[in-house]
Amino acid sequence: MTAQHAIHRFRRDLTVASLLRGLLVGTAVMCLLVGPRLGQRFDHVLVLTVIGAVWLVLSFRSAKGSRLAAASPSLIAAGEFEAAERQIDQALRSFSLFRTAKLLSLHHLAVLRHAQRRWQDSALLCRALLGQRLGGLQSLSKPARLILADALLEMGDVGGAYQAIQGLYRHRLSLAEVLNLQLVQLDYQSRVGAWGQMFSQVMSKVQLAELMPATSAARCQALLALAAQKLGRNDWVDWLRRRAELLADAEKLVEEKPLLGGLWEGRVEAPVVPVAGA
Amino acid sequence: MPPEFLDVPTLLESSMPRPRINWFLYGLGTFLLIVLAAALLGRQSQTMNQLVQDASRLAMILLMGGLIFATVFVVRRHRAEQQRIEGVSELVQLRRWEQAAMLLGAILSRPARSHALRGQALIYLASLLARYHRFADAIAVQNHLLENELVDPPTAYGLKLGRAMAMLREDHLFDADRAISELRRAGGGEDSAGLTLIEIYRDVKTGHPAEAIALFEGKLRVLRDNLGHRVADAYALAARAYDLLGQENEARAAFAKATLLSPPGELYRRYPEVEKLAARFTPEPAPAEAA
Repeated sequence: MTAQHAIHRFRRDLTVASLLRGLLVGTAVMCLLVGPRLGQRFDHVLVLTVIGAVWLVLSFRSAKGSRLAAASPSLIAAGEFEAAERQIDQALRSFSLFRTAKLLSLHHLAVLRHAQRRWQDSALLCRALLGQRLGGLQSLSKPARLILADALLEMGDVGGAYQAIQGLYRHRLSLAEVLNLQLVQLDYQSRVGAWGQMFSQVMSKVQLAELMPATSAARCQALLALAAQKLGRNDWVDWLRRRAELLADAEKLVEEKPLLGGLWEGRVEAPVVPVAGA
Repeated sequence: MPPEFLDVPTLLESSMPRPRINWFLYGLGTFLLIVLAAALLGRQSQTMNQLVQDASRLAMILLMGGLIFATVFVVRRHRAEQQRIEGVSELVQLRRWEQAAMLLGAILSRPARSHALRGQALIYLASLLARYHRFADAIAVQNHLLENELVDPPTAYGLKLGRAMAMLREDHLFDADRAISELRRAGGGEDSAGLTLIEIYRDVKTGHPAEAIALFEGKLRVLRDNLGHRVADAYALAARAYDLLGQENEARAAFAKATLLSPPGELYRRYPEVEKLAARFTPEPAPAEAA
């Protein structure tokens, strides 16, 4: 499913569900208020029962969609992208009376496209999601902004990424979100050459990097090493670079962030595997 | 006598969710009573019949409103408890052990709102107890979680890894070996960094350094990709294994890498066997602000 198609379907389904909800609630209220005055000709209890039954059936169908949506994050985390795609596709195509299942499915699709490194699709989906009234799912706005900022940085839209990051400072972030924000922020600052800001409170940033998965921890410390290099803090450059080398392959880090090439210029790579004879 | 800090039997008992009152039967009984009373009153006169109908509509609206209010109230309380447990998780990750222990003690000293929330809190209790070197207590909590099937299969695998590590620390080598075999049979052994780390530790502890090194060298990439900074543990154990084989250069190199990624004190606390290297090898120097 393309991002545009998913967004189109998502908006259409939200409109249909909202109209249907309005129709059912409106009819129920009218039955309660006007029904008794119409006398024997109109059996308002029967109509209310039918509305209740329709609501229940549609709620069960919506719950099925929510279950489908809930299964995809673990599949994405496990790298099973095809299975996740199928799951999200089903969730987006299934009818839901409530907004939450649809919003969650769209968010999961944005996460999946981000994991697949399809930056443009991911950014489009995040923008569509953030353009919606999230209500009870307001907490989705934070990961969506982080994904959007990262996708925009990968696409070279530094200004857009700044706007996305700015929106996050108004929220209280969880530890996982703080870690993601640090990585995105360092990437952004390295692109605009804000070396001083990158290096300020370096030890706190290093401690947070230690909580990240291997590749993110390596990238984070490599970016800090680059900032230290630009600021002439050679004691930190060596320490941070060697830590990054132990957590990920330098070639891969440079391939993903060519800016980091300066850290390994003119250096002979030490093989990470195995340690024997190192 | 003051109660013991994080007393496991007390916390296991006090955190049990309260048995649910079956409100459905009470509600059904009340509803039948109201219907009977309304039918009897409605037969008395036309005015009474009209009054009963109006009262029924009002009762229906009040019931719907009450149900919505009750649902919102229950969901909010459930969410608040979940946030407290997520708070413990963050404190554990940030290594603020004392604060995490205090919060966890407070959470578990009252009945949990659900078995799932209690299960989550007990997982953090087990890791905290291991941090405080109370391995027997940690094993008791892990056994409780596994025997009562309070966790899903992937979490159970992680718990079994933690339990095997605690058994090694308690010198229950036979039990640990059996637990490792079980984990290997359970699948995922080939690519499980956690299991590999435990096997390396077992080999170092039982005096099989060559096997430990073979595992370390063969699986370093898996260890690095999955453990992140905790790959320092594997380097530290490998350093001890090289040392046991008399390969001093390799031991020094592995020790340097371990201490580059993790403070030496933390490594000695996790693996007392590694502390024997402290007198002979110098930890990797860090910048002044980081030291």
